[in-house]
Amino acid sequence: MIIETRNLTKEYNGIKALKDVSFSVKEGEIFGFLGPNGAGKTTTIKILTTLLMPTSGEVYVNGYNVVEEATKVRESIGLVPQENVLENDLTARENLIFHGMLYNIKGRKLEDRVEKALKFADLESRADEKVRNFSGGTKRRLETVKAFLHSPKIIFLDEPSLGLDPQSRRLFWDYIEKINKEEKITIFLTTHYMDEADYLCDRVCIIDVGKILDLDTPKKLKEKFGEGEVVEITVPKARKFAEILKEKCECNIIKVDEERLKISSKHKERALTEIFKNADELGVSILDISVREPTLEDVFIHYTGKGIREGKGDFTKAVLRRFKG
Amino acid sequence: MSLISFFRESYVVAWKDMRLWVKNPMVPFTRSLMLPLLWIVIFGTAFGGTATNIPVAVVMQDHSTIATNFVSELGTGGTLKLIPASESEAFRMLKYMKVSAVILIPGDFSTRIKAGGRAEVMLTLDDTTPQISTTVSSKVYGMARAFSSSGKGIHVDKNTLYGRGITYLDFLAPGVIIMTIIFSSFFSGGLSLVMDREFGTITMLLVSPISRDAIIMGKIFAGVLQSLTSGIVALTIALIMGVRIRTGFDGFLIILLILLIAGFGFIGMSTALAVKINELDQLMVVTQTIIMPMWFISGGLYPIASMPHWMRIIAMLNPLTYATNALRAVMLRGIIWQTLTLDIAVITAFAFVMLFVGSYLFKKSIS
Repeated sequence: MIIETRNLTKEYNGIKALKDVSFSVKEGEIFGFLGPNGAGKTTTIKILTTLLMPTSGEVYVNGYNVVEEATKVRESIGLVPQENVLENDLTARENLIFHGMLYNIKGRKLEDRVEKALKFADLESRADEKVRNFSGGTKRRLETVKAFLHSPKIIFLDEPSLGLDPQSRRLFWDYIEKINKEEKITIFLTTHYMDEADYLCDRVCIIDVGKILDLDTPKKLKEKFGEGEVVEITVPKARKFAEILKEKCECNIIKVDEERLKISSKHKERALTEIFKNADELGVSILDISVREPTLEDVFIHYTGKGIREGKGDFTKAVLRRFKG
Repeated sequence: MSLISFFRESYVVAWKDMRLWVKNPMVPFTRSLMLPLLWIVIFGTAFGGTATNIPVAVVMQDHSTIATNFVSELGTGGTLKLIPASESEAFRMLKYMKVSAVILIPGDFSTRIKAGGRAEVMLTLDDTTPQISTTVSSKVYGMARAFSSSGKGIHVDKNTLYGRGITYLDFLAPGVIIMTIIFSSFFSGGLSLVMDREFGTITMLLVSPISRDAIIMGKIFAGVLQSLTSGIVALTIALIMGVRIRTGFDGFLIILLILLIAGFGFIGMSTALAVKINELDQLMVVTQTIIMPMWFISGGLYPIASMPHWMRIIAMLNPLTYATNALRAVMLRGIIWQTLTLDIAVITAFAFVMLFVGSYLFKKSIS
């Protein structure tokens, strides 16, 4: 186990941001920490990267205790924080050289690593340009290769695709996979994007308000919750319709409101037949119906009873604070 | 329509800014009111005032009534503070900056006047502070004229301690060099710290295996190096503009030493302040509020002797005063350890205290 936490708890001014969190990460996997803003993701990453001290509990990274052997831990890890922390007035190459120097990589070795990193990030032609001119996606790529310049065992990515456009995101995911496979580096990432966790992660840990809700592979998580496919129906009198369906066919009701109904079923054909038959009997017409594979979002809603809360993240909070004082 | 939405948006922006202004009045208050007020007080009283109580040694080789009258008249008005001394004692005091001038009344002063001839008064000035030299000599010349008009001719034989005329530029240069040091210390030390925090780059240092102490040291050294460099640049500019230094290579080394110690002190000070500051504009205000008055009350721009009493007390407590004094002493007088030791000791102590406080607070903030 390359990361292990036992009963990790973190308190800020008496408020528990993490409550008895225990999990472990296997060497070589891409591990996702999935949760809404304020769930405790960044707090966890800060503790794992020695930026914060745990209030109680034990944390081991690469076999070292984060409190007692912080320097050893720091040597084993690379971090890509949420905000861009490149030196804007330095060039891409200078940023990498500075990073290498922090990790005591010198001379020929440093040059080789920097060249390799630039190539990896597709930045060879822009190596001597000031970082200030780079786009968000390019900066993120540079930051990520910077994080593995010193060959760490683990790279931590805090909300890596925050603020990236869809193309850059997809490209970026491919970079992370490439780093994971080619460099054999364990990846620990936090995200509140379900699709990101689903696409990238070998295992996903779902966390909310400082507590772990479940931890498994995306596939198993999806299977576990609903067993089968998701059917979404738009129909009048949805609540009544849901009660009837529950009796007549083997299906789970995931969500229901006035005119929308979401169910999951192992036997798609039988469920569909029942749905249409019962609609006829009830004398209501189905306005819309769709069948799809379950997503992590369904799992998440299953656990928390609500979707990921977008917004009101750190940035919005900061802005609101300014207004309200 | 677009004009309306333009105004609306402007209003929103202005509203927010005004809101912030109301919420946090200290920053704009300091910026818009306190600073000009402070400047006016300092400029007005320090620069507009006339020097008083200038210490002057008086060597009386003639104890006649005329001579005594002449000297006691010099002492009126509070401009000069007369200190009776023997000739050798007087010139030693002049060399070690205890007095600004020596007035010597020769033994034949009264006999020459009685004989109806021209009597002589010897005035030797420490010319490193032009304003003071001018004040002292105009007082002595004026008195000589006053005595002359009543029929007795008195001639003033004026000498300067350092031979050539020291200009205001020579006087000002050390002060400006020290100012450069303190400004660049604040902007390279404190500013970089605040920037690091604001842009999160400090995080990358904190997750790296670099130790906390090394981060502090690295920051301090980079800051000192930057401020020392700008001090040397300022010195070079001064030399190009015609400022002459009275010392050779050893004096140059002492100049560097003074700049280095001052740099460490002010970097420490700016670090201590920056730890508590989270925003760049706050730092600007604090910097202006602290270092501008410090400079004005350091004797860098104008002699301390021309400041009112309360301001002189502040000047005595101001580390910048000692740094400026030390630098000016080396540049204008050469190496005279008797006068340099105290100044260098004070700025060294200041540097140690500030470095300790700065690194302590910084370390606390990152662990």
